[in-house]
Amino acid sequence: MARNSVDQELFRRIRDRVAIVGIGHLPFAKDIGRPISDTAIEAIQIALDDAGLEAEDVDGMSMFEMEHTHEVTIARGLGVKNLGWWDKLSYGGGASCGTIMHAAAAIVSGLATVVTCHRARNRGSRESRPWAQERVLVTDDKALHVPWGLIRPVDVIGMWAQRHMHRYGTKREHLGNVAIAARKHANRNPYAMMRGRPLDMEIYLKGRMIGDPLSLYDCCLETDGALACIVTSVERAKDLKHKPIYVHSVAQASGPNPVHLANYNTPDLQTTAVPCAEQLWARSELQPRDMDCAQIYDAFTPLVIMGLEDYGFCKRGEGGPFTEGGRLELGGELPVLTSGGGLSEAYVHGFNLIIEGVRQLRGTSYNQVPDCKATLVTGASGVATSAMVLRAD
Amino acid sequence: MDAALHPDYPLPDVEHPVTRPFWDGCRERRLLIQREKGTWTYHWPPKPSYWKGGKLEWVEAAGLGRVYSYVVGREPFLPAFQALLPHVMVLVELDEGPRLVGYMVHATPAEMAIGMRVRVVFKRLTDRVTLPVWEPVR
Repeated sequence: MARNSVDQELFRRIRDRVAIVGIGHLPFAKDIGRPISDTAIEAIQIALDDAGLEAEDVDGMSMFEMEHTHEVTIARGLGVKNLGWWDKLSYGGGASCGTIMHAAAAIVSGLATVVTCHRARNRGSRESRPWAQERVLVTDDKALHVPWGLIRPVDVIGMWAQRHMHRYGTKREHLGNVAIAARKHANRNPYAMMRGRPLDMEIYLKGRMIGDPLSLYDCCLETDGALACIVTSVERAKDLKHKPIYVHSVAQASGPNPVHLANYNTPDLQTTAVPCAEQLWARSELQPRDMDCAQIYDAFTPLVIMGLEDYGFCKRGEGGPFTEGGRLELGGELPVLTSGGGLSEAYVHGFNLIIEGVRQLRGTSYNQVPDCKATLVTGASGVATSAMVLRAD
Repeated sequence: MDAALHPDYPLPDVEHPVTRPFWDGCRERRLLIQREKGTWTYHWPPKPSYWKGGKLEWVEAAGLGRVYSYVVGREPFLPAFQALLPHVMVLVELDEGPRLVGYMVHATPAEMAIGMRVRVVFKRLTDRVTLPVWEPVR
């Protein structure tokens, strides 16, 4: 009980008292031609400029990384005087909003005042994909699935998708609705990798099977990118360039009996998004019906359908039909992935979903939802994950 | 059989202290899973032997279960598994409860169905590594 009350208090102190004040990213590319230790610095610098802050103002850093960049390399490149707090979060796809949670906790507890959060990632080229490098001796959690050939993320997620289709009657057309919504949004986003490549149901259904039941258009892109945002207190945010975008609620969750990737021994195959959503909404004064749009992590289309259920936009099993009638598209009841997401803007472990959430609340999205006041941003369900509710005045 | 194994085949670390009994069992063609002493609750993936003061024991599973889900891998796949395409990967729910990742043998993608009854078959990859794989119970 005592722990629970501490938890409530901390998140009350975070709620609408911590804000994202700057965003930035480099143009996405298939091959950016620079190491992430370099692109990260530039992305953070763009975000600092956007905020109206200098490197000298930064005293905290929370990075989303599975690689080996040192915090000090980035701090030095930026010109930070002294980092007083930093951390690094792993878990591909899952940790995006986790960086914001850690930054927020550091800010309200006085460990830091201005924190940079970022993800830089190079995976456009075939050789750079972690699963393509899987060979010879598997020593971690993956030793209980990789030796059977369950290696490609599309197959790992396909296992969930097949079960969902069997159990709830989810159709390929439902998956297609997600892919098409993301692509329509991407076609209005000048930064989107898939801009100018329209997708309709006819093309979708003809997509070649990769990991049956998932086809080409169910899969995200592979992209090089570097993205950052700047987090600080609302007091510090007052004299900055943009209106503050409030961190209203935020959560991380591993779920029970977790395995990295092939996380199949949870009750009823529930994903990590279930416990994450439970905490997120418990800490929030807003509920799913209050979201004007949602940036639901989309490495593969079924994750969006399951995410709609797990985050409470519809009941379990109803995620498929929920996609019908253009509901997920701009103008629909709940536009999702309004930048194009990982499916059609860029796949950068979902950090672009944070940037898009901020743009929506600033009113500067390329697919602006009229009078957008609140949005949900989520990380990958399946792996250890995170999510947040962002809002604006 | 060793000679046919692709040089890039991702082999499991069978010496890992947590999973070693499982791999030792596979070499003897026995499917071992962990059970909690007293409650008979099954645990998967395996936990360390010292968990809660040694509450777990390894027991032999019947080697029977049902297809809980499956995926059919198509091109482009990893070179080490090229010979198995179309590669039918399965999630088998054992009669004892745990869900194990595996792949099918003696089954075509067309005959796959969730709920299908399957039986374990042991496939020797090297002197040290034997994988439990699955075939339909006909």
